[in-house]
Amino acid sequence: MTLWIGSLQLGLLYGIMAIGIYISFRILNIPDLTAEGSFTFGLAVSAIFTVNGHPFLGLIMAIIAGIIAGNVTAFLQTKLFIHPVLAGILTMSGLYSINLWVMGGSSNLSLIGQDTVFKYVQNLSGLDANSVKTILAIISALICVIILILFFKTQLGMCIRAVGDNEAMVSASSINVDRTKFIGFGISNALIALSGGLIAQYQGYADINSGMGILVVGLASVIIGEVFLGKRGVAVGVCSAVLGSVVYRFIIAWATRSNFFPAYMLKLISAIIVALALAIPAIKYYKEIRKIKGGDKNA
Amino acid sequence: MLKVENLKKTFAKNTPNEHLALDNLSLDVKAGEFITVLGSNGAGKSTLFNAVCGTFLPDGGKIILDGKDITFECEHKRAKSIGRVFQDPMRGTAPNMTIEENLALAYSRKYKGPLSWAIKNKDRDFFRSILSEFGMGLEDRLKTKVGLLSGGQRQVVTLTMCTMVTPKLLLLDEHTAALDPATADKVMEITNDIVKRNNLTTLMITHNMAQALTTGTRTIMLDSGQIIMDVAGAERDKMTIDDVLEMYSQKKKQSFANDRMLLN
Ligand SMILES: Nc1ncnc2c1ncn2[C@@H]1O[C@H](COP(=O)(O)OP(=O)(O)OP(=O)(O)O)[C@@H](O)[C@H]1O
Ligand SMILES: [Mg+2]
Repeated sequence: MTLWIGSLQLGLLYGIMAIGIYISFRILNIPDLTAEGSFTFGLAVSAIFTVNGHPFLGLIMAIIAGIIAGNVTAFLQTKLFIHPVLAGILTMSGLYSINLWVMGGSSNLSLIGQDTVFKYVQNLSGLDANSVKTILAIISALICVIILILFFKTQLGMCIRAVGDNEAMVSASSINVDRTKFIGFGISNALIALSGGLIAQYQGYADINSGMGILVVGLASVIIGEVFLGKRGVAVGVCSAVLGSVVYRFIIAWATRSNFFPAYMLKLISAIIVALALAIPAIKYYKEIRKIKGGDKNA
Repeated sequence: MLKVENLKKTFAKNTPNEHLALDNLSLDVKAGEFITVLGSNGAGKSTLFNAVCGTFLPDGGKIILDGKDITFECEHKRAKSIGRVFQDPMRGTAPNMTIEENLALAYSRKYKGPLSWAIKNKDRDFFRSILSEFGMGLEDRLKTKVGLLSGGQRQVVTLTMCTMVTPKLLLLDEHTAALDPATADKVMEITNDIVKRNNLTTLMITHNMAQALTTGTRTIMLDSGQIIMDVAGAERDKMTIDDVLEMYSQKKKQSFANDRMLLN
């Protein structure tokens, strides 16, 4: 039971990151590799503030850290004309050093015994640790989902969607494409970094390598979510990213518990899930061709 | 309204493909004028529109819109006062967004702050009422994705987007070229109607000479980045397609003779 509850908590917290990935990959339609760096950036910033006694401020600073990371990538892309994928890789790579610097040069930071937001709420409410974790995970995921659903109904939110849909049209209308991209990447990476910040306080430690493969995890979540809820507008998309993240954690919990595969195989399995899901159009295409060829033979 | 002075643009400068697309072109468009633009393929018609819209910066010359020098203003800023419909129906709309979202994008950018609701119910009523004027049934399909519409329907949506917030200048680049004759006529009729009703200053590129002479108030012809014909009023009313062709071949001969003179 604890395993499933734990997966739910992780799924919701990582779900915030999945929303960020959803925004860059699905809405802006640009593969943004900044995620690996900005997740750890948020994690490191949140951890260091917690160590110094400011867990809530740590989360806010994590959000700001994410916005900065996203804006650096947007700057490289829009103002310096660097290819989007390369721009993300550059930011991510540079952030590795920044993250080590934030964590005072050590690759590991323990928050054991520190007042995290989870501890703080626990002391305040008198509930047990696990319930607090569940409640806080639900609340933070819910807040993000609601804010984003509302945001994408605003004028600015719609501009971001339009930039991802038809950039030529947007630049010919009176929308500032570059500025819209700055905002879009800022929001996307803010969510990813906030997720990292929450995870640091949830786990009670920060590790410089926490962001490794996070992009694939996020993509897998988005895709799994779409299997359940389909591709139906942004509001459903935001929800399905979180749902996908929870399901992803359940799959992992089930697999590790039944000794289906050892824990170190996780990244490979995730990569395979994503590759398969992305290959669905190709698989359909080959099937179609075979059907047409087979039909000829029978005729 | 629009003043273009000695506009110059050379593509692929200093390469073997160097191409002079706008050759010291000057044009003065008065407020309320509806100019039709003729010219063979590659004459520089679209390039002129691109220059006015700021898709690229010219090598020389000036562009003045409504008394303001916009030669170096960035594209999205000018777009506030310029409405443009492209030759390609795919270019003017966002395919994965619904009709009402596309319209709202065009409508609200002038009046609303970035964090206000994109579509309110009263906006929806407004969209329905303007779309119903076209009699294409689009008013009942506000929630349809634009990508699912036909080319003609998309051009009508684009045209609506460009004109619902009255622009200072309307640029139409062969906007009926991709449509079947019946739909083209219909879209043209709608265009005329919108232009008249709002007294819009308009430039329209077309390859249909009869249409060029009968629509609007003035006709110009471009060739090799220059204006080689500019007629309006009574002179234009008298003109037939044959006159236009005659004029074109005369100009061509003339420039051919000039080339010969240079070579000799
Ligand atoms: N971005 C560009 N780079 C290089 N050459 C260009 C570019 N845009 C236009 N040209 C060239 O400039 C010339 C004029 O092109 P333009 O698109 O203005 O023609 P047009 O008059 O609109 O013709 P059409 O009737 O075929 O649309 C063409 O020879 C074209 O090859
Ligand atoms: Mg053209």
